Amino acid sequence: MAIQELELKPTVPSSPLLGFWKIFSRNRMAIVGLFMLAVIVIIAIFADTIAPYDPKSYEGIQSSDIYNAPSAAHWFGTDDAGKDVFSSFMFGARNSLIVGFFAAFISIFIGGTFGIVAGFYGGRVENFLMRFTDLMLVIPDLPLIVIFVALTSPNLLNIIFVIGLLGWTTTARIVRSQTLAVKSRKFVLRARAIGAGNRHIILNHVLPLVMPILVVNAILVISLAILSESTLAFLGLSDPLAISWGQMLNFAFGRGAMSVGAWWALVVPGFGIVWVVLGLTLLGNGLEQVLNPRLEAHHLMPGKPTVQSEAGGGVPSRSGFVKTPIVLDVQNLSIHYVNDGKPPARAVEDVSFRLHEGELMGLVGESGCGKTTLIMALTRLLPSAGQIVGGSVMFNNTELATASEETLSDIRWNGISIIFQGAMNALNPVRTVGDQIAEAIRKHIPIESEAQLQKRVVELLDLVGITAEHKDHYPHQYSGGMRQRAMIAMALSCSPQVVIADEPTTALDVMIQAQILELLDQLRKKLGLAVIFVTHDLGVVAEMCDTVLVMYGGVTAEYADVDTVSNEPRHPYTQDLLKAFPDLSKPEKRLVSIPGYPPKLDDLPAGCRFAPRCPVAFDRCATELPNLHELEAGHIASCHLVEKG
Amino acid sequence: MSNEVILEVKNLKKYFQAGRPGWFSRKEHFVHAVDDMDLQLKRGEVIALVGESGCGKSTLALTLMGLEEATAGSIFFEGKDITNASPRERKAIRQRIQMVFQDPYESLNPTQTIEEIVSEPLVVHGLAAGTDERKARVVRALEDSGLKPAEDYLSRFPHQLSGGQRQRVVIAGALVLEPHLLLADEPVSMLDVSIRAEIINLLADLRRTRGISVIFITHDLGTVGYFADRIAVMYLGRIVEIGSMREVLKNPQHPYTQALLSVIPVPNPRLRKKHIILQGETPNPIDLPRGCRFHPRCPVAIDVCKQNEPSLLQVTDTHQAACVLLVR
Repeated sequence: MAIQELELKPTVPSSPLLGFWKIFSRNRMAIVGLFMLAVIVIIAIFADTIAPYDPKSYEGIQSSDIYNAPSAAHWFGTDDAGKDVFSSFMFGARNSLIVGFFAAFISIFIGGTFGIVAGFYGGRVENFLMRFTDLMLVIPDLPLIVIFVALTSPNLLNIIFVIGLLGWTTTARIVRSQTLAVKSRKFVLRARAIGAGNRHIILNHVLPLVMPILVVNAILVISLAILSESTLAFLGLSDPLAISWGQMLNFAFGRGAMSVGAWWALVVPGFGIVWVVLGLTLLGNGLEQVLNPRLEAHHLMPGKPTVQSEAGGGVPSRSGFVKTPIVLDVQNLSIHYVNDGKPPARAVEDVSFRLHEGELMGLVGESGCGKTTLIMALTRLLPSAGQIVGGSVMFNNTELATASEETLSDIRWNGISIIFQGAMNALNPVRTVGDQIAEAIRKHIPIESEAQLQKRVVELLDLVGITAEHKDHYPHQYSGGMRQRAMIAMALSCSPQVVIADEPTTALDVMIQAQILELLDQLRKKLGLAVIFVTHDLGVVAEMCDTVLVMYGGVTAEYADVDTVSNEPRHPYTQDLLKAFPDLSKPEKRLVSIPGYPPKLDDLPAGCRFAPRCPVAFDRCATELPNLHELEAGHIASCHLVEKG
Repeated sequence: MSNEVILEVKNLKKYFQAGRPGWFSRKEHFVHAVDDMDLQLKRGEVIALVGESGCGKSTLALTLMGLEEATAGSIFFEGKDITNASPRERKAIRQRIQMVFQDPYESLNPTQTIEEIVSEPLVVHGLAAGTDERKARVVRALEDSGLKPAEDYLSRFPHQLSGGQRQRVVIAGALVLEPHLLLADEPVSMLDVSIRAEIINLLADLRRTRGISVIFITHDLGTVGYFADRIAVMYLGRIVEIGSMREVLKNPQHPYTQALLSVIPVPNPRLRKKHIILQGETPNPIDLPRGCRFHPRCPVAIDVCKQNEPSLLQVTDTHQAACVLLVR
């Protein structure tokens, strides 16, 4: 009991800011960008104290000082008025940054407000605001800015306002589309159901989720504003009393720096502009990666080479049910996720099973028990951090755990195909379903003629119960059940021997689920397919599977034929799972739930992984991981209580 | 359960316009999401509303919540007609009717802490003004939802919780207002089977301890037996069978209910039974079939079914079904 309570308590979270910095500091680009920006900001702030000369004063300047080359007295030479370029550069940084930051602030404020209001309210408000945005977008910015600044007096404040008031259009569009996405999410509906008004929803639900995009966008807008300011100054439209980098360029260019070869007068302010814009861009990109985790590497990227270890023990072939040949033989497979600086997450350890031709095996476990990792490892489609650290995967006498990428790509889809979880929602919406199935065939097997290909597509659709007339329909014209059938057709397109279905019915209604299960059962009988059916639902397994592998916390809890698992389960976890299942013959009985939650794979208990939730755990369970015990031919359970003798 | 009727729905209709009339066609099309629905719910009663996606069960919930406007008919809540409540009245009603959504991963704002999420309804309604009082109510709602000790959860974010814990937070967010009626829209369909039992037991306990009435919306007859007093089976916007839980489960009268019951997976291969698998899916509710709306998919349909739409017939005092075969 004591262990249980300990496990159920969540750990104290660390501060979100600290977490942010942790991820941020791992992004080298962002750190470089931040550093570049910090240098310039410090120079701008402390220009008064660190600049060797005062660029506003003409004291002691003689005509011989004009366009002097870099020297010990003037590190970056002197300009057309004989003033120190380095000092001007420092003061110029101040004005360039002031204009950049404040103009960007105005742009972001206007663009953000327009975007959120338009996206949130929709209808006429949106139409009006967005058409106005479009209008502003098509007017060429620079000429307009030039005209405005020329008409008003070109002082710092006017320049900030003109740049700010014209630079908000892209922000408005980006923010609007993000607002639309946030608005349609369920928690906004929930807030409405609570009784919250629009103001509350915008401030508490929309703004926090739009903020990351706003911040990233702000950084890019700052760099654009600095560029605009430099352009204006270069054209002579700048505050004559405030030095900026653009103005330095303008003076040098207009007063003969080129003809006397005084390159430093041009290069130094140009370098400043490039430095700041580059720093901001790096920072912006880095921030985007930190704030938007979807940009991280996709989990189906090719994995690292695997390590082979000696395979021993393993499961014996079961007597009784199957006489057909073995197609897939997995022995002692272990998969770890290796993260820099953290202990490896032992996602799958020492899992063995044998799959025969025509066999339907159920792979059962709660979310996070390693079942998806296991099936991804079979054809080595693990994320890059995932490594097979031991064991073997034999497919028709080919060792997949160590096979080359070429061998594997021959076997993927042709030998073993996978119906991914939620794949039915991943059909390309702008191409017909028939076209997408044809593509899957074309990629894997050489096809003689287009007519033959089309014939094959029709055959496949027919096999899964979709009539030929639907071949040229688009995914949105299909219902959820039909899309799942199309995914099955696609998985069958290269006549594989093994099909792995990862939760193929989870999001479907019971009646559609029954249809899909019936289809899978027919297919394996008709085509002699071996199927691995991944699910968290023991009821579905009992309805159609021959054998069942129950996983818990990355290890095998129990492995046996379906009748044994349902009627004589020996592992307490299997027993609990069965009790948690609704039994309609006794509807008044209270459901038994398993207390607590499955362990995290990077923080596994020392002993049996189920011990913290186990109703019959004793001392030994907390310290010692139970071995796999074979109770009778083909029935395996990992529990100290079933140990012989 | 008392005899006081807390919610009464009379001839409720909710139609959506399906595309505007075009330049060349004048005919308007409507999706008949909820089509002439009658329902009564007593205080403290739990009713399960069962049907496939597209049968209009979620639209009914949104209409009851006032998040969708009813096309016709009326809704009475605690004796008052709330069909066309003003925004001010609606806000007051929402303190007493709360909703639990299907997807615990989507219905929590990822940037808010659990404390912020659960106290939000109090802030919106200006209840429990003092910080201490507000926190006390949040803690109580969390603990009543099974998150004990609540202090461990207050400063966490949704992504740090498991699916089952998140759904408990959603339930706590509804409970904190102490509602009289809870609409639970598929609250367990996204959760693992092992976690479902906990959430169902939790809802059952809440009904017992707080006397809350619950409308439990689901597509899975298998999960409702455990705590529903009555079961209503919906097909294409209308109730086709309604009765006490025991009668509907043991003695289903409508062929649709019989089919739904037959496909519930049984976790024992020795008890595998014959499935009545209906082909196709719920047809689109724009062009409703003539006659009985179920007849195109009905395995036992006869000619009469194509002619007349059957109304609910009494099977027993507490059990009704809409099928012509009942008369024979």
